[in-house]
Amino acid sequence: MKTLNRRDFLRTSGAAALLATTPGLAYSQVVGGAGPFDDYRALVCVFLFGGNDSFNMLVPNTTAEYSAYAASRQNLAILQSDLLPITPLSAGTPDFGLHPSMGGVRDLFDAGSAAFVTNVGPLITPTTKEQFLSGSATLPPQLFSHNDQQDQWSSLRGNAQSKTGWAGRMADLIRGGVSGQQMATNASLFGSNLFQSADETVAYVMGPNGPLQFEGFSTNPDDILFEQRAAFRRVVEAEYGTIYERGFAEVQRRAIDAADTVSGAIENARQAAPAFTTPFPASQLGTQLETVAYLIAARDELEMQRQVFFVATGGFDTHDNQLQDQPGLLGGISEAIAAFYSATADLGVAENITTFTQSDFGRTLTSNGDGTDHAWGGNQLVVGGAVNGRELYGQYPLLAIDGPEDVTGGRMIPSTSADQYAATLAKWFGIPDTELDIVAPDLSNFAQRDLGFMIA
Amino acid sequence: MKANRLLTITTTLLLAACGGGGGSSPPPEPPPPPPPPVTKVEAYQLLNQATFGATEEEAQLVISMRQENWIEDQMRQPVSRQLQHLQSVPPPQFPFELHQDRVDIWFRNALHGEDQLRQRVAFALSEIMVVSQLGALGNLPFAVADYYDMLAENAFGNYRELLGEVTLHPAMGVYLSMLGNEKPNPALNIRPDENYAREVMQLFSIGLVELNIDGTEKLDSFGEPIPTYDQSIIEGFAHVFTGWTWAGAQTFHPNEFLLPQASQFFPMELWEEYHDTGEKKLLNGVVLPAGQGGAQDLEQALDNIFNHPNVGPFIAIRLIQRLVTSNPSPGYVRRVAQVFNNNGSGVRGDLRSVVRAILLDPEARPSMAMEIDGKLKEPLLRLTQLWRAYDATSASGRYPFGFAYVLLGQGPLQSPSVFNFFSPFHAPPGEIRDSSLVAPELELATEYLNTLLTNFMFYQVFGLNQTNAELEEDDVFIDIAEEIAVAADSDALIDMVAGKLLGGVISDTLREEIVGMLARVPVTESALRAAEAIYFVVTSPEYAYQR
Repeated sequence: MKTLNRRDFLRTSGAAALLATTPGLAYSQVVGGAGPFDDYRALVCVFLFGGNDSFNMLVPNTTAEYSAYAASRQNLAILQSDLLPITPLSAGTPDFGLHPSMGGVRDLFDAGSAAFVTNVGPLITPTTKEQFLSGSATLPPQLFSHNDQQDQWSSLRGNAQSKTGWAGRMADLIRGGVSGQQMATNASLFGSNLFQSADETVAYVMGPNGPLQFEGFSTNPDDILFEQRAAFRRVVEAEYGTIYERGFAEVQRRAIDAADTVSGAIENARQAAPAFTTPFPASQLGTQLETVAYLIAARDELEMQRQVFFVATGGFDTHDNQLQDQPGLLGGISEAIAAFYSATADLGVAENITTFTQSDFGRTLTSNGDGTDHAWGGNQLVVGGAVNGRELYGQYPLLAIDGPEDVTGGRMIPSTSADQYAATLAKWFGIPDTELDIVAPDLSNFAQRDLGFMIA
Repeated sequence: MKANRLLTITTTLLLAACGGGGGSSPPPEPPPPPPPPVTKVEAYQLLNQATFGATEEEAQLVISMRQENWIEDQMRQPVSRQLQHLQSVPPPQFPFELHQDRVDIWFRNALHGEDQLRQRVAFALSEIMVVSQLGALGNLPFAVADYYDMLAENAFGNYRELLGEVTLHPAMGVYLSMLGNEKPNPALNIRPDENYAREVMQLFSIGLVELNIDGTEKLDSFGEPIPTYDQSIIEGFAHVFTGWTWAGAQTFHPNEFLLPQASQFFPMELWEEYHDTGEKKLLNGVVLPAGQGGAQDLEQALDNIFNHPNVGPFIAIRLIQRLVTSNPSPGYVRRVAQVFNNNGSGVRGDLRSVVRAILLDPEARPSMAMEIDGKLKEPLLRLTQLWRAYDATSASGRYPFGFAYVLLGQGPLQSPSVFNFFSPFHAPPGEIRDSSLVAPELELATEYLNTLLTNFMFYQVFGLNQTNAELEEDDVFIDIAEEIAVAADSDALIDMVAGKLLGGVISDTLREEIVGMLARVPVTESALRAAEAIYFVVTSPEYAYQR
């Protein structure tokens, strides 16, 4: 874009805000029982859009189990000799292998900073193959559908209308304890999402590089652009006659407030923070996680105690070209997550940050020729200094067509529910046991409330 | 849907009040009173539903022709196309670069096409039957352009033909991987790809649960919604959709880089030896017998979808949401769905009649606007309306916005997935969700994307207008000369801008704030004053709202 014609009007302000309010805490005064907190903790959800084929991410490496996998997967199987073997502490032998592109995660696993939760997925109650096939199990609706299973992972509201997400409910529960925070508990770097949607609090949506400043606004009262900002704000604070204008205006109000507060803090953090020892990949996910690292570095300026970050990347719907695409997909998350873990160590907060994956669903063990289709259970990755790492949690299924967990075509019934996965993370985050059922509504249907992958 | 029901009642009462009073005396029929003249506000309302942005010039046409005739006239306009433009530009080094030209011609057609209504309906269809350049179609720009042309050609055609052309279009074939889909090979645990089978039902035609004709969900005896299909039916359709590949291919799985350009826009071709010939379970208990050919299977399977009772209400809701309002009443949906089911001449799926019914329904022009009427404008439409109202162009004639999805958060056929930029069910927390209402476009109105567009408007209005002496040949600039001419007079200036962008209706708050800002800008700075007024209007909630 060329030079602009009225220099005075086009100056932008980098000054920090004086008028900051707390973006996101908008609706009512309802408060849960958690907090206040005497430490800082953050959860980072890495959502893999499209349905990650996680049975090619974490592969059995013992003879019989690998054979079953290879027989099922046929031309889409990873060669056993190509796997990166990993040795869970409880096994003592390299019983599993990672996709060859995931060296970064392998190193984290070996160092005890990463764990896998296996064959996990949305469930209402524990479900057997017999119950599934006879139709006697209560199941989440629209299994194997992208948006429905994304919603189920996000909301954990199996067969109820999903209106809030489990991170949103956590934010509501702790809001009384974190009322000093200068930014909403939930922040997304990948658009609005159900996961962080709540009744009482509003997630703040920024860009992959953080918040945008408004051009043409100033926080300097001597500048005409200060008046421009004030007038703009009065316009969006006015009363409007339709729900659409009101909804739009509310976002604009939050955007104005947060742009000043958060942009200033993140800029200060970028200047103050040490250079990270592991460079972030220049990918969509790498960029988002680097921004999260700086937001974490800005936690004191923003007076943050609890945060949930939502980052994401797509392309995992490998109906086609799976073998060609998987190295880039899985290598991409491995590299970005490893760089992020390293950055949290640089910042001295590795024990305070837990990164975890969610994805629509696992994929069929059978192939459609050069790809796989939508299925159900899958494996998820958890990384952080507070993770009971170098371990697998849950029950890894036998990857056989028509095996005990296969409900047709190589679709695995989850043996662990997404509610249990979420509740384990929520408990670490600081949600009291009595309130975990609000976060994970079907948790009481399962015997194990805590999967044990987080250090208490 | 409490508020919806309220609206239905209100509408009914209004209609009763207007048309009710049946008298008893028979005497001579008075000539029907002439309909009241169409107001500018009404013209703007129709034009923002039916074009890429109302302009005063087009509003004059609507006022003189009346809405019905304007719509008929629009439906007669020839199709503005994209493919031939892509074929006319010098081939770039890499095929994906042609997507820049594809977006360029999209803007040219959206801004200047005489077939505004057709282009707007095509845009709506492109957000329902989605393909995207982001992904496997990155290197196939001709396919993507021709797909859009196909939507435009079918905008006033029959939905069944549209469904057939969507299904066999190579762009869709690649995007949802029906192209190259083979019959099962049990020895290798290979079964047909389920991608297209699932999405054609979930997103393009019937949806997940059974609907009443008014779009409300049917419930079973437990009060639960009734699924329209299960996995076995998806597998049935997946088997139907086997055996199709590129037109003109020498093998079933050819190298796409070696194919002639025409393969990108000729319908896919059937290779019978790759088609599954077993039985196939379809919707509503229909089973296709074994031994049929691929073409026969396909026709019968698409007929099976087309004749599902959900299609009418499903397509009615989707199109009403794209054109008129996020929250149509059940009555509105029913009226449109009935037209879908039968256009009055016994034809099912006549989109010409459906579009007409959507735009001429009383709920599309409520005499008394309620707080759930209308919708939010998506980013592209907020921009095209400004550009149409202010004759935006560049010295080169190009609109170099190939990265619209980054710059604006949205671009034509640049959705992140087949689920479009926003969900038809999106309900932001607060009053919208609490009232069981939806506001799909608000999913794109995040803090980030709103600020992105606000800043874009800032540069556009203050910087990229015709007074800028340093414009480069690809800079798209607006013409604010008329505003500059009256800029010394704040009220006249605001009236002019509001007249062009808001159909003449501006809130007191917005007017006062603009007056306040103009009081700070010297009268000699006429371009700056003009820009100030336009900037405040195009970033306002009332401009973002489509009434």
